[in-house]
Amino acid sequence: MNFGSPETANMTDLGHKLEEDFKHYVADHPDDHDHGGIGKYIAVFVALCVLTGASFLTYAPWWREHVPMEASRALMMAVSITKAMLVIMFFMHLLWEANWKWVLTIPASCMSIFLLLMLIPDIGMRQNNGFARYSRDRLLWAADPPKVVASEDRVLEEQEEHPHAPAPAH
Amino acid sequence: MDNHSHGRAAGQMFDYHPALPIPNGKTFMWLFLSTEIMFFAGLIGTYIVLRFGAIAWPRTHDVHLSEPIGAFNTFVLICSSVTIVLALEAAKRNKASEAKGWVLMTLLLGTVFLGVKAYEYQAKFAHGLYPWYPTGLVHEKADIHYAAAVRKRLLALKSQYETQPERTPEIEARLGVIDQISRDLVEPAELTVRNDPDSPEGRILLLKLAYAIYPPQYGPESAAHVAAANGFETFPVELVAYLHDETAAASGGDHGHAHGLNDEHPWLRLPIMVPGGGLWTSTYFLLTGFHALHVLVGLIVFVIMLTMTLGREQAGLIENTGLYWHFVDLVWIFLFPLLYLF
Repeated sequence: MNFGSPETANMTDLGHKLEEDFKHYVADHPDDHDHGGIGKYIAVFVALCVLTGASFLTYAPWWREHVPMEASRALMMAVSITKAMLVIMFFMHLLWEANWKWVLTIPASCMSIFLLLMLIPDIGMRQNNGFARYSRDRLLWAADPPKVVASEDRVLEEQEEHPHAPAPAH
Repeated sequence: MDNHSHGRAAGQMFDYHPALPIPNGKTFMWLFLSTEIMFFAGLIGTYIVLRFGAIAWPRTHDVHLSEPIGAFNTFVLICSSVTIVLALEAAKRNKASEAKGWVLMTLLLGTVFLGVKAYEYQAKFAHGLYPWYPTGLVHEKADIHYAAAVRKRLLALKSQYETQPERTPEIEARLGVIDQISRDLVEPAELTVRNDPDSPEGRILLLKLAYAIYPPQYGPESAAHVAAANGFETFPVELVAYLHDETAAASGGDHGHAHGLNDEHPWLRLPIMVPGGGLWTSTYFLLTGFHALHVLVGLIVFVIMLTMTLGREQAGLIENTGLYWHFVDLVWIFLFPLLYLF
């Protein structure tokens, strides 16, 4: 790029020239991963299908009888985050992009995590615990709280062993 | 114009560096996607707060959510993400017709997704699961207001059929069903609750009314456990008769679909009791509705792209559209377990 040359005197022309140069660069220099890149995409596709199947396993009756609901939910969130990372890094190409990707991803991740963390007290305030009580209207109109959680067989076994212990909360 | 002398005489020209080493379109698409992340993070965060702060929440089969259908939709969207990536790769190699074929495949897969979603929505609407009155039939619990709503609906049906000019046998049969429900289910419940408000018999009869209209979908054993956990020592045997599926009892699984009065007689459309159902319908239709709108916008862009020649010149357009489509897939990757599997 020769600054001071006639074609760069006008800033608009310079902008256009940069765009053209960029496009030609991209065309002449395909990404390093291009050859054999399709194989990578297929591999990611297979991984996504396997992960979807893994999260879908929690639907099976034999799974729900032997695995606590909390562990299932943790597994599902881990699977979702893994699938999201695979799509972001490979399909959206961010693995191969330059350092600008950190400018994009780090603030967005910080904001998302901050949002979810700051909503946790809201969950607590909506429950009947030491900090918050159900309002009178809610007690009147809301559904009856179920006393049985995830695996009903497990709870009933516990109640048989400890007949006077309170049932776990929802 | 003698720019050489100008440039050198001025001494220095500032160095123009683009802020990011990517085209403007890609930059702005990423900025737009960050706003979309904020949009869906807000919605999903609200759903998490409402769902885990709720007193009760319906189970998936009670609101006719089918996990296999959700998993199939997830698979369809993953395939469509792969096809749009392959379209981009083809365009980069200047294979215009191959790229167009992959874009068409993506469009078809997206349409399949929307079609399956429409089928799911239709199943919800057919059972009265809708976000607001009067199209939605959802009540939170089986109390006197629920029984009164059932009675009002039966009276409305009765006056509608009795004022028909011609009383066909079908109308007579329907009037018979209305009378039977009033006599056997609604009146005993309302009278028992009125005469003896504190007795559990009234609550049992109200539950019996609710279960007769819209039974729980997890088989007689599950219903027995739920009733026992809620303080009924002897499970009302009549309730079991309403839960038809024998295979569910044998396998202990959740197969089959227990039929209630609203299923046997679709014209009834009696109010149904779904604990947590009001919030559930609101959040489910809001989340999936906004997602479906985003899918539709993507499909419109694909249709426009099909009118172009998708060679190397259009690789940027395909890349940006692909970024949007991958984001839509990402949102569904989070929505599927949150809505269907939790």
